[in-house]
Amino acid sequence: MILTAIAIVFANVSIYVVMALIYKRFRIPLLMPALTATFLVVVLLLYFEIPYETYMIGGQWINKLLGPAVVSLAYPLYNQRHVLRRNLPAVLGGTLSGLLVGMFSGILLALLMGFPKQYILSLLPKSITTPVAIQISGSLGGESSLTSVFVMIAGFTGAIAGPYILKLFRVRSEIGIGIGLGTASHALGTAKALEYGEQSLSMSSVAMTVCAIAGSFTAPLVAWLLYH
Amino acid sequence: MKIVRIIAQVVLLYLFSLAGEAVKQLLHLPIPGSIIGLLLLFILLLCRVVPVRWIEHGSAAILAYLPLFFIPATAGIVDHLSLFSGKGLLLIVVLVLSTAVTIGAAAHSSRWFARWSMDVPRALPGTEEKGKEA
Repeated sequence: MILTAIAIVFANVSIYVVMALIYKRFRIPLLMPALTATFLVVVLLLYFEIPYETYMIGGQWINKLLGPAVVSLAYPLYNQRHVLRRNLPAVLGGTLSGLLVGMFSGILLALLMGFPKQYILSLLPKSITTPVAIQISGSLGGESSLTSVFVMIAGFTGAIAGPYILKLFRVRSEIGIGIGLGTASHALGTAKALEYGEQSLSMSSVAMTVCAIAGSFTAPLVAWLLYH
Repeated sequence: MKIVRIIAQVVLLYLFSLAGEAVKQLLHLPIPGSIIGLLLLFILLLCRVVPVRWIEHGSAAILAYLPLFFIPATAGIVDHLSLFSGKGLLLIVVLVLSTAVTIGAAAHSSRWFARWSMDVPRALPGTEEKGKEA
């Protein structure tokens, strides 16, 4: 059992390292290791017909680091405490409005298309950075893996269609661009915000973390409103 | 000895997430324990109870490998592959539309809140005249 766990962890870390190196070489969003490494793991599980439970004998040990990973987000937020303090109303107001509009528009569209409760609960944290979104989804009774995929799609939407969306809504200020992309598309949006300047980048990364914290409070509230 | 320092700091971060989990259980909060740990650490950093050098190397190391830690949870999608066929694909439309309005709402309301917060001092008693001029 222990040997199986070690072998799975070793294989998983190796796959990640190789995929991260490939991404470093080409820098194309579609080659991001979060996408390629996960895809490869899924293909291997399907090809060798390994049940997910067997994979998780090792996978759970990597999973355990999600908790400290979320806690470590306090470090970049602390480094940007001055940006946060100077722009507190804009950041809090922007992320909270974005979160609520995002959650209710997602629920409304999914309900109109007739999706079941599990999908709707998994959709709620879609604009939140993956490690936090996974934990919110799990505690709401959603499915963490679905949430993770939804978060990726929301991220790619911001990274690829972001410039068109910003034009459509006539967003021109660097602060607005940063808060919009960081709130809706987390790390992928923040990478895009860099192209608009230093201020967009720092606002986006602050908005991303604040959105993760605020979303942890609003998601259970919205879920309760829907299904209590 | 760099690696020892990183491991010790990651252990400290892990303790914060355990403490958050304990608070969650104790108060029956519906919020993930790790988020409570994040808030706890952030407050202690701001109050200078925890110096930033106690966590900076561990945090930087974890954040550099962040995507690795959510591969196992995401790989659970093997049991939900129907998502990628038929009706499930409609969720992409939901996600793209909802993300677009989120960007618009967050961007515009942030500017509204920023302007509103700047208007507040002007609306205070004694400065009313100035407010009317503007």
